[in-house]
Amino acid sequence: MSSPRYVLDPTSERHVAQRERLARPAGLAGLRVGLLDISKPRGDVFLDRLEARLAEAGARVNRYRKPTFTKPAPVDLRHEIATQCDVVIEALAD
Amino acid sequence: MNSAATDTRRREQSPTDESSSHVLPDGLVAVVKAECETCQMVAPLLADLARRADLTVFTQDDPAFPPGVAAVHDGDLGVSWHHDIETVPTIMRVVDGREVERTVGWSRDEWRRLTGDPGLGAELPPSRPGCGSMSVDPDRVDELRVRFAGGRLRSRRVELAAREDDIEAMYARGWTDGLPVVPPTEERVLRMLEGTPRDPADVVATVPPDLVDVSVEKVAISAVMAGCLPEHLPWVLTAVEAVCNNEFNIHGVLATTMPVGPVIVASGPGTRAIGMNSGVNALGQGNRANLTIGRALQLVVRNVGGGRPGGVDRATHGNPGKISFCFAERSDSPFTTLAESRGATPGADAITVFAGEGPRCVVDQISRRPESLAQSLAACLRTLHSPKLVLGFDAILVLGPEHARVFADAGWDRERVLAELDARLRIPGTELVRGAGGIDEGLPATFADHTLPKFRPGGILLACAGGGAGLFSEIIGGWANGEIGSQPVTREVQP
Amino acid sequence: MHDISDLELRGVPSVFVASAEFVDAAAAQGASLGFSAVARVFTPHPIQDRTDDEMRAYADAAYDEIVTAVTS
Repeated sequence: MSSPRYVLDPTSERHVAQRERLARPAGLAGLRVGLLDISKPRGDVFLDRLEARLAEAGARVNRYRKPTFTKPAPVDLRHEIATQCDVVIEALAD
Repeated sequence: MNSAATDTRRREQSPTDESSSHVLPDGLVAVVKAECETCQMVAPLLADLARRADLTVFTQDDPAFPPGVAAVHDGDLGVSWHHDIETVPTIMRVVDGREVERTVGWSRDEWRRLTGDPGLGAELPPSRPGCGSMSVDPDRVDELRVRFAGGRLRSRRVELAAREDDIEAMYARGWTDGLPVVPPTEERVLRMLEGTPRDPADVVATVPPDLVDVSVEKVAISAVMAGCLPEHLPWVLTAVEAVCNNEFNIHGVLATTMPVGPVIVASGPGTRAIGMNSGVNALGQGNRANLTIGRALQLVVRNVGGGRPGGVDRATHGNPGKISFCFAERSDSPFTTLAESRGATPGADAITVFAGEGPRCVVDQISRRPESLAQSLAACLRTLHSPKLVLGFDAILVLGPEHARVFADAGWDRERVLAELDARLRIPGTELVRGAGGIDEGLPATFADHTLPKFRPGGILLACAGGGAGLFSEIIGGWANGEIGSQPVTREVQP
Repeated sequence: MHDISDLELRGVPSVFVASAEFVDAAAAQGASLGFSAVARVFTPHPIQDRTDDEMRAYADAAYDEIVTAVTS
């Protein structure tokens, strides 16, 4: 009666080691900042304002746009961003 | 399910698996049980054969049987299991460790031919049927499967606490969709895997949002939890494949604030073979195949993919169909099946998956003219999600059989019905622009001088289901369509 | 979230900006990616019906936090 009862795990059984954030630069002046628009409405207005503020702070801003917010960005776009930017801001999900 | 004698399908076993310890000795090999009267009848014959020929006898129950024979006790039924013994007595001829032929029960002619002894069993009747082997006894089969086939399972075993209620244990671990699930024991999962010839380790799909490769075994676990029978498993496997791709975009379907979930429309003779409901209350409760297949798919998405309400699932309202939404088309539909219209082989078992909300009823109990019914349906389709929005959403139109008959009697086939609906769903931009009708939602003012279709080409998916009485149809509205949203996917069901 | 995770794996410090409705979903998704520390900043909700001026105000309000998320 007291023998152990087992069930099979229905989940993905993921045990992923927790990642840390990358080291960040000290400031943004002179750096290339990527702004990635996820293509939801109103996000462009938000990003326009960020761009203006970042330019004032001395950053060089590159603008990018995902084809759709419902899927990860295409791999070519991610590669392009990674080679052209020092930091990235992705916006705006709601 | 059928008797255990027919539901235990074996797969090809490699020489290196467990059966290597059950290699048969060369010569004649018989498997018997003392409890079987036919075995008792041939016992003296076996004793005689043992003296004259290379005969090994395996006895399933009593090692002292047959008298006069040094029988091997197949106590754990391993030999019987691995060599698919369904009847006793079975006698086989083995050459170089491989079975060349066998005969089951007692047949004098067969035994003489197999043993090469023309005078064998002269004193016995010409034939007598055997008895069921202990290794196919329904009361034992699950245990045997765990003992001999359990090693093929790779999922982590989760131990339940001694006094933990097994149903509550499923809730406590967050594995349910709010309703109780069937605890996925090894026995149940192995039994479920009998429903497919696929290897349990085969990868079926990559499941968002966590992008996990899901195996046949993991899908079988969800199928057990959902309450499926083994014959439902191929449909569940096909549904998982159908939703886990960029076309259907289950990730988007899950993460949207709209109230949608996967809707499965099934067709083909297999739907009847597994007992799916295409008639009365087809979109409702009560039918095991409909409900458990739809549920199993959502449990895979939830438990394997990690998509849960409050987590990645952010639907504002959701809809009851997100527990399960699966039904079959009527086999007597006057139209081609939805699957066939989307490229499936005619007559094949197939499913179409669609990102859909709950169904909405269309009432038309007067229209006898097809033009009138088309107008009626179009008027209801016109307001799908909003009277001010066009092109962005698809819909399934489930025609009830009485409505379908109005069209069929007029000679309208699927293409005609859809063309007539489309013709009645061209909307002046003046009605659609923001502010029109006193509603701020709508299209930008630049569309005022256009006429726009409510649906993209092919945006209405026509199916036929429901009970034979009732002049109703159902509209199942979709999520955002096209590249940015979800597109319906049709797949033929593979075993 | 997938994009930010991917960009960080490519060596680019990144931050994700979303409305407050996303707080729980972001935590869940980050955890499931094994990246609970993923940088994210939240604006008020709603978004869809805000005027341009209101959106710019959101951006101003979030600016400092966003810069902090991608600098040391």
